[in-house]
Amino acid sequence: MSKVKKLLFSQKVAPFVFVLPFVLSLLIFWAYPLISGVIMSFQDINFGNRTFVGLDHYQKLFKDKFFITAVLNSVEYMFLTLVLMIPIPLLLAVLMESRLTKAKGVWKVIMYIPALTSVVISGMLFRMMFSEADGSQMNQLLAFFNQAPIAWLKTKWTAWIALLLLCMWRWTGVNMLYFVSGLKAIDTSLYESADIDGATAWQKFRYVTLPLIKPTTIYVITISVYAGLAMFLESFMLWNGNSSPKNIGLTIVGYLYKRGIEKNDLGYACAVGMVLMVIALIINIVQLVATGTFKKEES
Amino acid sequence: MAANTASPKTMESNHKVASVVATGIFVILCIFIAFPLVAGLLASFRPGRELVQNGLAINWDFSTMTLDNYKYLFGVGGGNSKVDSAKYFMWYKNSLVLTILTVILTLLVCYFVAYGLTMYKFRLQGFLFFMVIATMCVPFEILMLPLYQEVTTLGLIDKMAGVILPGLCGASTIFFFRQYMQSLPKELLDAARIDGCTEYGISVRIMMPITKPAFASMAILCAMGSWNNMLWPLLVFRDTSKFTLQIGLNTLLTPYGNNYDLLIAGSMFGIIPILLIYLIFQRYLIDGMTAGAVKG
Amino acid sequence: MKKRWLSIMMAAAMAATMPAAVMAEEEGEAEATAVTTVGPEDGTHFEMWSFVDAHNEFYGKMVELWNEQNPDKQINVTFSTYPYGDMHNKLMMSLQAGSGAPDMCDVEIGQFPNYTGDDCPLYPLTDALAPYEADCVTSRLDVYSKGDGTRIGVPTHVGASVMYWNAELLESYGLDYKSVKTWDDYTALGEALKEASNGEVYLTSVDTGGVDWMWIAMAEYGEDWTGGPDGEPNVELDSVKKMMTMQKQWLDDGIAMISTDGHVDLEAGFKNVSEGKIASFPKAMWYMSRFMNYMPEMEGKYDITTIPVFEEGQKNSVGIGGTGTVITQQCEAPELAAEWLTWAKLSKEGESYIWSVLGFDVCNSALWFDEDFAFDESNPYNTFFRCKPYEVLQELANNDAIGTVYTTSVSPTLNDYMCTTTLNEVFEDGMDIDEALAEAQEYLEMELM
Repeated sequence: MSKVKKLLFSQKVAPFVFVLPFVLSLLIFWAYPLISGVIMSFQDINFGNRTFVGLDHYQKLFKDKFFITAVLNSVEYMFLTLVLMIPIPLLLAVLMESRLTKAKGVWKVIMYIPALTSVVISGMLFRMMFSEADGSQMNQLLAFFNQAPIAWLKTKWTAWIALLLLCMWRWTGVNMLYFVSGLKAIDTSLYESADIDGATAWQKFRYVTLPLIKPTTIYVITISVYAGLAMFLESFMLWNGNSSPKNIGLTIVGYLYKRGIEKNDLGYACAVGMVLMVIALIINIVQLVATGTFKKEES
Repeated sequence: MAANTASPKTMESNHKVASVVATGIFVILCIFIAFPLVAGLLASFRPGRELVQNGLAINWDFSTMTLDNYKYLFGVGGGNSKVDSAKYFMWYKNSLVLTILTVILTLLVCYFVAYGLTMYKFRLQGFLFFMVIATMCVPFEILMLPLYQEVTTLGLIDKMAGVILPGLCGASTIFFFRQYMQSLPKELLDAARIDGCTEYGISVRIMMPITKPAFASMAILCAMGSWNNMLWPLLVFRDTSKFTLQIGLNTLLTPYGNNYDLLIAGSMFGIIPILLIYLIFQRYLIDGMTAGAVKG
Repeated sequence: MKKRWLSIMMAAAMAATMPAAVMAEEEGEAEATAVTTVGPEDGTHFEMWSFVDAHNEFYGKMVELWNEQNPDKQINVTFSTYPYGDMHNKLMMSLQAGSGAPDMCDVEIGQFPNYTGDDCPLYPLTDALAPYEADCVTSRLDVYSKGDGTRIGVPTHVGASVMYWNAELLESYGLDYKSVKTWDDYTALGEALKEASNGEVYLTSVDTGGVDWMWIAMAEYGEDWTGGPDGEPNVELDSVKKMMTMQKQWLDDGIAMISTDGHVDLEAGFKNVSEGKIASFPKAMWYMSRFMNYMPEMEGKYDITTIPVFEEGQKNSVGIGGTGTVITQQCEAPELAAEWLTWAKLSKEGESYIWSVLGFDVCNSALWFDEDFAFDESNPYNTFFRCKPYEVLQELANNDAIGTVYTTSVSPTLNDYMCTTTLNEVFEDGMDIDEALAEAQEYLEMELM
């Protein structure tokens, strides 16, 4: 066997060849900027003129009530989206893939379109639907039940209904898509044998589908944790900008923009970003260890 | 997979009821989902100020509908056009090219990275997987300035490569492939090795075909991400002729008044190519394991 | 089958676009038609960014005119229009990074405080502006200056705040708005309107998402909550308290409503105005273009006057909003750029475009009294309203009635706190005004630490 051939067959070399692009991209486009970002969070940055300020930004952050509001909002939003955006799309995906549903293609397409519509337009459409004017769709709905119109986007719980609906409108189809492709990886013979054993639909879901779709579920949870914590666009769309009444729609990334980029305080912005990163990492590591996703690697 | 197990007769009628219920759920859901879209679509046939003033009322009065907005878009609106239609189609083309290139390159790279991470046991494996998760948890905003300086130094500014390269190893795509491959049987690899396949041959000829559903869904999602992405392309591109559709459409919104007419028509029309990508790839979601390719 | 057909089509589209993309990358200039570069190729080259396409069109016209008039100083400018927020972000990135910034750029007024520090990356324009200084509304030049008085931006318009009246609506109830001089008169008119319309029409709407009303109050009393370029911010001002107290009273009495969406310059606000739910509102002159664009059916119905005052003899207008054009330190021929830019935006040639096409109240106030300039019948803004807009400006100029409120480094935080918190607490929740303002002050002081 020639040397080249040996290399081609080597199971020792292959994994390193496969992951090489990732390692390179990690070093060049991630590690370097991230380290710069960490350094920046300890600096005041003013057009090429940088001064080291130590922990000042972090100390200020924990006294900043807007920042605390932003963190609480983001965490709350993350939990609510996890509660809503995992089970519902999963059930819909199972239902969609069952033999029961007719005209599947049509529903899938319709559910997918919202994720494609331009942010500007969908934000405007939702703002109008939830407008406090009497004629807005939501207020007409209230009128139908003999309720007085309300200013949806000015109080927290009504505004959050709008926010969560917007989130579900945009992302249900996408999350369903993840689950649908996860379902495809399940060996159909398992259902056939379950049928032979006389399993009910629920038993099949509980004992076949749920365990086997776990990798996909973990995936969706992991991306949803970060997406939930880093939510900004939905809030920006709904309030046509980064300011909401009493900051009911302020999120961590929104705050990062507000104090960091709109005010040119990039050092402070980096500190805000670091806090977001730490929260997201902690939640995800705990979640991945708990679900045993990391374990497989170590064994 | 959700059939009943009672006697054949009740089974059949139960099945019918269940089918109506299941389909009904999607019908109702889709009516709600489609409502804003239909309203937006109808609004695109009206002068922008009507939407601004009347809000989002579904108005089936076809007599007030015009094709004016689309005429502006296609440049047949005469001297009245507020935006150069040539510009619109340039943005459109740029977005399309950028999206297609991004999808093809990202999927290929991420597939192989995930393959390496999942199919072998090697040192650093756990660490690298941890890094995949870690990259998913860092807000882009803090990387923005250093990355911009870096891309400038590398001479990639104003180049498509500058937009695509930093996002090429998309952590979420790698992670998805990894999760998907974990549920596939590894025995296949050993069988192929006995048949004399190289490690790289296996990854292409054996695993790739059965990873098709994952490819399809990642293609759809990558395309969506790239199509909607604006922040980074905007920082990299300097030449107006390279702008993407999202950048272009957003220039229609200004503190000095919004060009609602074109915005609505332009956005509605902008859904089409990305929807086509979806339609094409979703057929591969039907294949996969059910084809029985793996059972051997 | 249909799906297979689709994928073939897609593959064909891909095959067709890929080489095109590669070619475009290589040639670079393949799409030259859509890139706006104006001027001869051998002229001095500049790059210019804006977030309003119409501004770039205007600058393009001015480049052509300049080149006609100055054969010895030919310039060649490439224009790019970016989305609003992102352009400022990109400008900031490129200035922070030290490369990639344009030569000239439109910058929204709220962004200026970011550039007024010691390491200002912008080219000083004091000298270039000197020839125009005497004719211009000084307060507008001041707002685009550093703390030491160095000018760094060329203004586009004054943005003088004025009162817009739905004259047709008020007349239909037999009410006279023209005699309103003070806020007391205004409140009395509100009472009369409420009675006449059975409470169906409000005199105005109170903003919870904008600070225009507060600015007007401050201008009337000559106060400024930012404390000016060198001062300390203070929101607990008498003028602000007076305005808030009055507005709260209007709300309690049913004379005014709370602005839908927080202010009148968004979709639901336009709807309120065009449906005649409110009969008047104060807003900057640039709001005229909103009428033209979104409410053309209001032609001939609306009138413009000066804003009422708390006490006779006070100033009653203030410049609100605006865009200053800057030259960055990365520009290689800043003197020429500055000469062109100040000419383009402040000379009579430039100003007549700004007034007739963009519909703004020009900064060069000498022109306000130029009959041909100001009252040109072919200018649609002169026929849309029941008065000629520059008549109101003349009145303001004659009484020296335009005050100044600065935009300083504290402004983004201050405005944000007002719009998200204080105004909502006061008008929506009925919180005590002194208490709400004290809370705002406390936050500002913490923020400034």
